[in-house]
Amino acid sequence: MVVTKEEVQALYKAHILPENNNPYHFEAKDNASTSLDAYNPMCGDKFQLHLNVKDDTFDTVHFHGFGCAISKASTSILLRKIEGISKVDAIALCEKFLKNLTEDNQVDEFDKELNTLIALKHFDGRIDCIKLPWEALLAHLMKG
Amino acid sequence: MLKNTKTYFPIFKKYPDLVYLDSAATTQRPKLVIDAINQFNSFENANIHRGVYDLSNSATKNFELAREKVAKYLGSTNPKTIAFTSGTTNSINIVASSFLRPRLNKDDNVVITLLDHHANFIPWQMLAKEKEAEFRVVPIDKNGNLDLTVLEKSLDQKTKFLSLNHISNSLGTTTDIGEIIALAHKKNIPVMIDAAQSIAYYDLDIHQLDYDFLAFSGHKMFGPFGIGVLYVAEKWMKNITPYNYGGGIIKDVTIEDTTFSDFPFNIEAGTPNISGVMGLSSAIDFIHKFDKKEMIQHISDLVNYCTDQLISIDKVKIIGNPENRSGIISFVVDGIHPHDVASFLNQDNIAVRAGMHCTQPLLAAMNTSATVRVSFSIYNERKEVDQLKNSLVELIKFWS
Ligand SMILES: Cc1ncc(COP(=O)(O)O)c(C=O)c1O
Repeated sequence: MVVTKEEVQALYKAHILPENNNPYHFEAKDNASTSLDAYNPMCGDKFQLHLNVKDDTFDTVHFHGFGCAISKASTSILLRKIEGISKVDAIALCEKFLKNLTEDNQVDEFDKELNTLIALKHFDGRIDCIKLPWEALLAHLMKG
Repeated sequence: MLKNTKTYFPIFKKYPDLVYLDSAATTQRPKLVIDAINQFNSFENANIHRGVYDLSNSATKNFELAREKVAKYLGSTNPKTIAFTSGTTNSINIVASSFLRPRLNKDDNVVITLLDHHANFIPWQMLAKEKEAEFRVVPIDKNGNLDLTVLEKSLDQKTKFLSLNHISNSLGTTTDIGEIIALAHKKNIPVMIDAAQSIAYYDLDIHQLDYDFLAFSGHKMFGPFGIGVLYVAEKWMKNITPYNYGGGIIKDVTIEDTTFSDFPFNIEAGTPNISGVMGLSSAIDFIHKFDKKEMIQHISDLVNYCTDQLISIDKVKIIGNPENRSGIISFVVDGIHPHDVASFLNQDNIAVRAGMHCTQPLLAAMNTSATVRVSFSIYNERKEVDQLKNSLVELIKFWS
């Protein structure tokens, strides 16, 4: 499925640009309890996720770096979703989100923001931008 | 300006609205080349060198005629200077491992430039590391030009090899390779030219330029993917040893040992890309339909026009301002990531590339981590530049 230019513009205008222009906790916090890179060497997008974890739960989380509007918005949305939830719940969320993102049909319902990201998978060639922080965080959490 | 060149390319018949500005990644394929490959696959298919039947004999003959044609394309009368490889990357790696590896010692150095593609960067970097030799990367000025005096200073008695591209695939810088080769030869340093971006349009006559090694890819000169060329000067042919073992490269095999054929046959182990060679051969025929000066003129007109149009857009910044620019321009749009720019241009049927273009150290030196790149070929037209401009203006308005 290819989306029309008007649809893409509407998605950008309503969700991606606001998130890109006012990203959540966009700040380098080098003293966080965990830091990891979400890096795509194919395009050079690179964000550092700074995560403070207390009792296996994400306390405050920040990110910083450089990337396209979609990867930045995706990272920003991801951080807002995991703040205050446990690592186990974060793993489940990442897995469920990535499954719906990569399979042809979306089977689970999410909130408006995540639905928007999933809708953008039809914007040809940009699925890696959406995936970037989710895959990086999941890989990090699965390492234990 | 060249006229009606789009008609040679079936893709523009299928997509008349396509604005293809990514020829530096791969050029479109003319019908002549597609037909030549189809002709071979449909009616002439047989493996070479090993058969004694008509089809095999004729495939072998055409394969070797193609070698002759490629040699002639470079001004060489000796087809044995030409080896078929899978592409530029493969050709460069062969020279690194078959020619330079045995000659490079601890504390020697290998020189390349900051303008080089990763394909002409990493093979030398890795070899230098392995040999504890120095890997020297000649810097560029802020406009993206090589300074020949700086380059000359980088060449010393310990320099065993110089490799550089003719045209930068990122900034579009065209380098005076003739002068550089002469400089290096004065110090007895062999030179390899990465001609991936120039082979289609520039005259790279061996008698004028005197390079020792030359690499290029079929798919950037209107030919197919998966076929490339390595030219080796006669005086170095005996120094190229096999890097990949198998059938077709041997003189004699016993249980005790193997002796090998001479270059170029000693690096063409296994069944080569025969239909690719047929395609490459017809790509050269296609190029011969045009006058090279006219092709360069056509592309240069487009690139100058495009530069002017881009400069006129507020928020667009061109990366690099080389003295001699080929058909390539890299730029950034203030506040909009190159990927977003490319995605929105795609919505208007404009095909451009966004990213690092396999030149991460170069972009780092230009203080950017990604650019939008447009590149022109003989089928592009001024009105496509206008479309690019209009789309960019619309995008910038939308974004703000
Ligand atoms: C200057 C330059 N060198 C080398 C290469 C690698 O060519 P290939 O991928 O065909 O091996 C390219 C391709 O982008 C290039 O532009």
